[in-house]
Amino acid sequence: MIQLFRVSKIYPPNYPALTDIHLHVEKGEFVFLSGPSGAGKTTLLKLLFREEEVTEGQIIVNGRNVTRLDGGGVAGMRQEIGLVFQEFKLLPTMSALENVALAAEVVGMSRRESRRRAFHLLRELGLKDKHDARPLTLSGGEQQRVAIARALVNDPILVLADEPTGNLDGDMAEETMKLFLKIHEKGTTIMIATHDAGLLKRFQHRAVLLQRGRLMGDSKPAKGEVEP
Amino acid sequence: MKFAHLSFVFRRVFQSLRDLVWTHVLTSGTMAMTLFIFGGFLLIQENLHGLLRGWGSQIQIFAYLENSLAQADLQSLLGQIRSYPEVESVRFVAREEAWENFKKTLGAQSGVLEGLPPDVLPSSLEIALKRDYRQRAAVADMAQRLRGVKGISEVEYPEEWIEKLSLLVLGVQWAKWIFGGFLFIATLMIVGSTVKLAILARKDEIEIMQLVGASAGLIRAPFVIEGMIQGIVGACLSLFFLWLCYFFLTTHFPSALGIFPSREQLQFLDIGEISLLISLGWILGAGGSLFSLRRFLKTW
Repeated sequence: MIQLFRVSKIYPPNYPALTDIHLHVEKGEFVFLSGPSGAGKTTLLKLLFREEEVTEGQIIVNGRNVTRLDGGGVAGMRQEIGLVFQEFKLLPTMSALENVALAAEVVGMSRRESRRRAFHLLRELGLKDKHDARPLTLSGGEQQRVAIARALVNDPILVLADEPTGNLDGDMAEETMKLFLKIHEKGTTIMIATHDAGLLKRFQHRAVLLQRGRLMGDSKPAKGEVEP
Repeated sequence: MKFAHLSFVFRRVFQSLRDLVWTHVLTSGTMAMTLFIFGGFLLIQENLHGLLRGWGSQIQIFAYLENSLAQADLQSLLGQIRSYPEVESVRFVAREEAWENFKKTLGAQSGVLEGLPPDVLPSSLEIALKRDYRQRAAVADMAQRLRGVKGISEVEYPEEWIEKLSLLVLGVQWAKWIFGGFLFIATLMIVGSTVKLAILARKDEIEIMQLVGASAGLIRAPFVIEGMIQGIVGACLSLFFLWLCYFFLTTHFPSALGIFPSREQLQFLDIGEISLLISLGWILGAGGSLFSLRRFLKTW
């Protein structure tokens, strides 16, 4: 599903955010991208959905060479990927339902079908009574569930989440992680960037450790510990 | 573009006009104000040109005839002068009429003419030139030609006045391009900044649309349509306020506009200038949006 070959990213003037990264993620895998702040987790995710461009190396996502996509190609690739962020990135002028339906309408789905899908997803994620609510009237956990619903509305093959529990308290973070596990059970590839070591211990999955922009470890799900 | 996308674009426009009504009002208002100034300039220069055209129509060449000129020769002379391509009209003023006109001009002081014979003034021709020839060089050329015509003893024209008028026309034409150019650039900059600020307030929306996979065209389309609507509304508002000013001036201060021979000569913008102003609003709105989006829309 994801392949990175000798990927490096240097921010101007000369700050190396990632250096010589090799990584393979199989279809249907659940991967934590771990490491302290500034390790390069967010940069790596941004390279995957082409928010940033590599300085060196190649990235293949679902058979597409991400580093060579043009504008239309990037848009097409993002329509197949669900993105979840720490700060939710919801439009405050739209209701929860409209925020979710937006992602479906962008790919050319009819309004009726988009809203129907959004409605079902919100109900599935426990937001049945909140579909008309504006994001700012919702709690952090509820906003993150709306963002997750938006990420799922087009049945993505891959979900990338950047610190999705970063703004949530313990219980909410736990609930959100369980949602990701549920999505994973349906066969979706999940990659979550987190600096929370507790999450890695509680949810034993493959964990890739980054430190100062270098890949320092890659644990197997069975062991559940990061191997240097 | 799929029908679903088309419907999406127009719904986004409608939602934006509904939810961000004050942003749109502010942008349209700013456009209206800047276009009002530009339109006001067009209105002034249009009327200034009208005024100069009116003055130009009063330019005449006076050709004084020889006393010995026979009636048949007069008719032949009139025919000859009317055949000149520069000539718009020729009017014969007989000695008696010239005498009466002169007396009228003197008014209360006409008594000084007592004792003089009424045929002391020569008969003359009042020659009006076509609009394109009401310039200093053309008038001088025509006068020179008339001086050589048999039966004409003397030719006069308001040389100094024509010279001043020609300079004024030239000045107005230059002012039109210089001030018009400055105003146009100022309008572009003000409207561009306003649109940019309005789009800056919605940069999160643009970012989120891109993150969920919207193509650049799908993101641009609602902004461009909104820009066009803002521009057209702004232009129509500016035209309305210009018309109000025009109406107020022509109905309440006709005497203050005494420089015009009659009220009817003060003109509002013609259909071409109205179209220009609306097109300008339309282009500024759409172009401003497109230009401002470049800064916030990530391209690959």
